Amino acid sequence: MNKLDKTLFFSVLAILFIGLLILYSASTRYYSQNIVFRQACWILIGVILLFIILRIDYQRFISVSYLLYGINIFLLILVLFFGEARGGARRWISLGAFNLQPSELAKITLVLALSLYIGRRKRDVTKIGFLFGAFFLVLPAFFLILIEPDLGGALLLIPITLTMLFMAGAKIKHLVAIVLLGLSSLPFFWQFLKDYQKERLFVFINPNIDPLGSGYTVIQSKIAIGSGGLLGKGWLSGTQNQLNFLPERHTDFIFSVVGEEWGFLGALILIFLYLLIVYRGIKIIETTPDEYGRLIATGFITLFSLQVIINIGMTIGFLPIVGLTLPLISYGGSSLIVTLIYIGFLLNIGMRRPLF
Amino acid sequence: MRVKIFANVILFFFLVLIFGLSYTQVLKHASYKELSENNRIRVVSLASPRGKIYDRSGNLLVSNRISFDVEVIYQEINDVERVINSLGDILAMDKEVLSEKIGHSRKMPFVPVKIVEDIKKEKAIQIEEVRLNLPGVIITTRPLRNYIYKDMLSHAIGHLGKISGAELRRFKTYGYHMQDFVGKDGIERTFNDYLRGVDGGLQIEVDNKGRQLKLLAVKEPRPGRDLFLSIDKELQEFCHSLLAARQGAIVALEPSTGAILALVSRPDFDPNIFVSPNNFKKIRNLLDDSRTFPMLNRAISGTYQAGSVFKIVLATAALDSGRFDDKKTFSCNGSFLVGKRPFRCWRERGHGTSDITGAIKESCNVFFYQLGLLLGADEISRYAFKLGLGRLTGIDLPGEVSGLVPTPRWKKSKFKTPWFKGETANYAIGQGYLLVTPIQILRLVGAIANKGKLLTPFIVERIEDVRLRHPESRDIRLKDKALETVKEGLRMAVNAPHGTGLYARSKEVIIAGKTGTAQNPEEKPHAWFVGFAPFENPRICIVIFIEHGGKGGLEPARFARKIIEKAKELELL
Repeated sequence: MNKLDKTLFFSVLAILFIGLLILYSASTRYYSQNIVFRQACWILIGVILLFIILRIDYQRFISVSYLLYGINIFLLILVLFFGEARGGARRWISLGAFNLQPSELAKITLVLALSLYIGRRKRDVTKIGFLFGAFFLVLPAFFLILIEPDLGGALLLIPITLTMLFMAGAKIKHLVAIVLLGLSSLPFFWQFLKDYQKERLFVFINPNIDPLGSGYTVIQSKIAIGSGGLLGKGWLSGTQNQLNFLPERHTDFIFSVVGEEWGFLGALILIFLYLLIVYRGIKIIETTPDEYGRLIATGFITLFSLQVIINIGMTIGFLPIVGLTLPLISYGGSSLIVTLIYIGFLLNIGMRRPLF
Repeated sequence: MRVKIFANVILFFFLVLIFGLSYTQVLKHASYKELSENNRIRVVSLASPRGKIYDRSGNLLVSNRISFDVEVIYQEINDVERVINSLGDILAMDKEVLSEKIGHSRKMPFVPVKIVEDIKKEKAIQIEEVRLNLPGVIITTRPLRNYIYKDMLSHAIGHLGKISGAELRRFKTYGYHMQDFVGKDGIERTFNDYLRGVDGGLQIEVDNKGRQLKLLAVKEPRPGRDLFLSIDKELQEFCHSLLAARQGAIVALEPSTGAILALVSRPDFDPNIFVSPNNFKKIRNLLDDSRTFPMLNRAISGTYQAGSVFKIVLATAALDSGRFDDKKTFSCNGSFLVGKRPFRCWRERGHGTSDITGAIKESCNVFFYQLGLLLGADEISRYAFKLGLGRLTGIDLPGEVSGLVPTPRWKKSKFKTPWFKGETANYAIGQGYLLVTPIQILRLVGAIANKGKLLTPFIVERIEDVRLRHPESRDIRLKDKALETVKEGLRMAVNAPHGTGLYARSKEVIIAGKTGTAQNPEEKPHAWFVGFAPFENPRICIVIFIEHGGKGGLEPARFARKIIEKAKELELL
């Protein structure tokens, strides 16, 4: 067995630490102080889970991945009926102190199930029917998450699937055909979008149509990041943040606080740390001969990179607001723990590759 | 191979992010920086009071009072019903109106919005007492113009009004805001830039709800400058009440300087109406009144037929030009033929033979027909212009008009017809095309009284301690002999037997003057009296004009005596 990938692991810890500092600044005046403490608790739990994952051979998860995925689908159905509603969406199952978010969990179980599906019949990957099969596997999770509603969470599953198929050797023209087919079915899915989601898409196209409603967040976020300049306004000194002009700044828009208080330089350092994790992850794909491991790593790296890119992209107004968290930094137990768990898988795969 | 593609795609997207960040944070930094400052800093303006206005002896004429306004911050109201009920009860206001106004404030939920203006002080205290139970309701104060003597000085002082769009565009760089009051007429307008103070302001750091967190900077408001007028409050009050219920004007000034002691134009208005809220209807009625024109300052902006007061110009012209002297005479038998048309004297049996002082005294029309024909229309006009008719006097009030001094050339170009002899005769007694303002007639007599020096009338004497430099009076070079003779005629008109200004005669002071009864196309003639006193050393000149007031020798002459005696009592003489 190999050693733990220290670069990857310490990058994760560095980001977690930065995240706590930022969260402290984002919560100091208008949210209760203990969200930093609670986040620290989640981090602790997440890191413990990470180490537990490390001790178990990931192969054992793959063999039960269909079962895990099935349970997850069941939970997604459950959440539709018994979920706790917040801000018009039912996403959480209340478990006393902890609110479970099955859509977050689905990111892990789906990647595991897909790797089993693809890895077991690897030679069929060049057949288009096989690809449809993969999407057929994704469809229940996609649909259930979409109607929660959680547009961002649902859409995220599509590129993950595509990337895993691509890495398994699927034909490019097949993948392109599937993407085109998906795009042509967009009008069909449009009707499942809630009004506020449609509005968000309109506002993305022109944030000024509603500067105090949906557009407000984007405008304020851009002002925060832009006014940070090269070096930022300083920790705890961002006026956009401290004076409460930035909504959702401890969750989806926490990157705006980084941009405002730590400037371009701070943002670059953070992005560099994220890139480092992605880079080490890709190294793991390259050096892992096990097909299942490679597929799982591909799925998780795609998930991780997409979350970072989409989240930062929406804070600077390059992408619509789809409600995705910034991995390892945004406040919230489910997202944080799920991220630490799949990073555990990545490290696990890296540790169990054979030595040459 | 595919791993490389995968890695490069991810790298590409990260590079796009870095590009986006450098665009937002480096390239567009300045504009976002400004936006964030605008978010953070709110400027609350502190209104500065306008300068006060005093009369010549330091009596306060116009000041400022405190207006109490009710404002609401919609965001902070927790029970709209209760706010409406409490305010409605205290202010005795229609609750629907209140509810509508509070509804409007929803559009700007974080900033205070004025819902009721200028409430009584007692009501403000009552609201202040229950305010703890009414979060979101605040009482604010601001200075509001207070015209202590209401309509008494309206045409001299003028009035204020909300700044117009055009004015705002023109004066924006001078710190004017929407909703600002600016002088619209009178000295409020002419001296607006001095009266108006510089508004101060507070720079406050606010959060997203507009809550005030920190005071960043204070700029104290600077009050406007105080004005001191040449007006004498007592004399003004006296003139104002004399003219009550009539349409017309009275102006009195000091002939040595041009300082105006009283200026009244009736009907008039209460300037307070223009600054109090909810007076749109009253204001419209004032502005739209096309029967009595209460907003018209008749003393400087109304033009009228001069009638016999114009004979002063004729007499001065004849004597100064040397075409006539105090030895020569004309005779009057009640009418005079110009061509085939008879021109009548006001006295049917005529005045017999008289010299020029006698003719002034009795205001003999036939004498002046002959004098006019002797001089010719051009010469009359030359002297009319010389004595300041047909042009602005330059008084420090807005809206002055210049009237009209006709000439044959003017008539030719205007009507394409030649000037007739009969018109000269008519012109000679102040009828016809000639149009004058009361202030022009006053200034003309001022020049006679003051050794031929044409002065510029003014109302504002000083701005705080700075005495204003008024234009020097201009010597129009009239022969002393001519002036003496005309003055003697004016003295006789009031003091000699059979003088037309008999009613102006006073036991206390020798008054000289000329009456006028100006025929006009409408109805009753306009009544004029213009004069000065004391005769030997003139200290006051006065014009009384009553629209359709009948004979100048009656009411105006009597008013003149009363005013001059009042002025003496006030030690202005």
